Amino acid sequence: MGDLVITKMSKKFQHQITANDSSSNPPFQLRSADLKIHEGEFFGIIGPSGCGKTTLLKCIAGLISPDKGEIFLGKENVTHVLPEKRQFSMVFQQPLLFPHMKVIDNVAFGLKMQGINKKMRWNKAKDMLQSVGLSGYEYRHPSELSGGQQQRVSLARALLMNPKVLFLDEPFSALDPDLREEMRELVKLLHQKLKVTVLLVTHDREEAFQLADRLAIMDEGKVLQIDSPKLCYEKPVNVQVAKFLGSKNVIEGEVSDGIFRGKHLEIAYTNYAFSENKGWIIIRPELLKRIHSEIISREEGIFNFTGRITEVSYRSGFVHYKVNVHGQTLYVIESNQSDLPEVNEQVTLQLNMKKVHFIPQMGS
Amino acid sequence: MSMLQKGNPYLYVLPAVLFILIFFFGGLFQGLLQSFGITPYNKDLVFTTLAYQELLQSADFWQSLLLTFRVSFLSTMLSGLLGILFAFILFIMALKGYDSNTASLFYRIFQYPLVIPHLAAGYLFLLLLMQSGWISRIGYHFGWVEEIHHFPILVNDTFGWGMILTYTWKEAPFITLMIYPVLFRIHKSWYEVARLYGSNTRKFISNIAVPLILPAWLSSLFIVFAFTFSAFEIPYLLGVTYPRLLPVYSFELFTHGGWMERSQSLALNIILAFITAILGGLSYKISKRWLLNERRGWE
Repeated sequence: MGDLVITKMSKKFQHQITANDSSSNPPFQLRSADLKIHEGEFFGIIGPSGCGKTTLLKCIAGLISPDKGEIFLGKENVTHVLPEKRQFSMVFQQPLLFPHMKVIDNVAFGLKMQGINKKMRWNKAKDMLQSVGLSGYEYRHPSELSGGQQQRVSLARALLMNPKVLFLDEPFSALDPDLREEMRELVKLLHQKLKVTVLLVTHDREEAFQLADRLAIMDEGKVLQIDSPKLCYEKPVNVQVAKFLGSKNVIEGEVSDGIFRGKHLEIAYTNYAFSENKGWIIIRPELLKRIHSEIISREEGIFNFTGRITEVSYRSGFVHYKVNVHGQTLYVIESNQSDLPEVNEQVTLQLNMKKVHFIPQMGS
Repeated sequence: MSMLQKGNPYLYVLPAVLFILIFFFGGLFQGLLQSFGITPYNKDLVFTTLAYQELLQSADFWQSLLLTFRVSFLSTMLSGLLGILFAFILFIMALKGYDSNTASLFYRIFQYPLVIPHLAAGYLFLLLLMQSGWISRIGYHFGWVEEIHHFPILVNDTFGWGMILTYTWKEAPFITLMIYPVLFRIHKSWYEVARLYGSNTRKFISNIAVPLILPAWLSSLFIVFAFTFSAFEIPYLLGVTYPRLLPVYSFELFTHGGWMERSQSLALNIILAFITAILGGLSYKISKRWLLNERRGWE
């Protein structure tokens, strides 16, 4: 089958005025997207709502015609192949099961379209329902299932087709947190078992990080970065990626003579290797460590801040707090092992500058 | 008074219930009694099934029943097919992303026959289709027919084409109106799902859309059949003198016949009401069973 390669794909939507609504939708443009998804890979496209990730997915699936660009599956150019001939499957945000069909008929729908006889398609559907943990539910109607079960049926329907690529378009966003977690586990397991190429679209960072081997970060119709989740998080290529992936401490400034100078903060910064000296340093909240003033380290590359806590919140074993350091707010996350810090408490924070990431202005 | 203060719901609906009891069931009951020869105000209290016997033995009745069935059946089938066809044209236009303003304009045009009364529709078709009518004259003007009496007889014809065409024109929009909202509820995303799993538009319509609208379509067919079977105006205007459709036959018996015929007329009405009730019950049963399945999981 081979890799799924998308080259220079773009799509422009003009102002659209709907019949029942005189208000117009703003124009939207998917800008020249290039992706290479390896065979058997779990690839995630992540970005804020409205960034164009579903449009990109539907262009790849053939449900929307792109204005430009090509899609290759292995050596085959599938750009102009009808969606029903591409052998792709998709699980949508809603289960979208056909209400008049029993669960087994919903699962076997694709095989029916291929003209496979009822006995064979029912047998295959039963096996697939077993794989998603829904044995015994074959003859129920979709309305007799819970939301999570319906989404499992939708997943079974998609997998039964033995698709060349499985698209997941925010498939768990309508489920409650427990079910979402359960479904993620199931999808991960089935991906490992069936070795199918998966393309997941989501705005949920946690979901993308948990499932994807590699990520493409999108914003405003543009692919900003493609890397492993770890690299995307630790080495974002620009400020939008950093902010979207949860970097709270993005400080603008300038590096000169081994010192980073922000509006409120000056930090010794020597591992600098860019020609541009203006930019942002990204301090991930978990890099900041609260220490007792008597054990302050004077090692090279270790920087100490003293500031006052302005806000504290406790979240499932972790404590999040904001520290004002000479007018600069730093966001800190640490595992809570003792008493919670208190607002107005003076603290000393330690930062290993080697782990701080710098984004030069021209690269952003 | 205390019942009113407590807000007894039965008391509030009592006027409406009394109205229906007196004027609908009362009339029906009186008709039933008279069809069995019982007219209390005439001190005629002997129960007899003579009117029914004579009616069932009369060739006129069977001819009339046959014609009524034929006209109703063909009108229902034609309007059913035309109605569903039009609803699907609108649906496909929406599915393929055609301009929704054009679709809604078509929908509105198709709804216009609904506001025309049946009597007016009858006249309209009479003026249009009779041999000295508009179409015939236009045909003559353009040289399509040599003489206007060469134009085919389409109204007051023995087969009933005039009635069938008028009913089709009137009832097809009703069928569309009944099924289009059901079609409109079909997600566009279902079409996307179906396409990804190998279905084209034709397969999507036959596998998904048709099964979903079938209950609404069947119920509307039953309604149209029951209506055309017992309606009076159009057959009165566009029918022939013999055989007449059952409602006209009953009217003529009632107004032009003697006392005995009046009982026959009422017996005929009771038979009409009985057939309509059976059709109504059948329609309810079928749609109830189907709708239960169809409604599952719509949301």
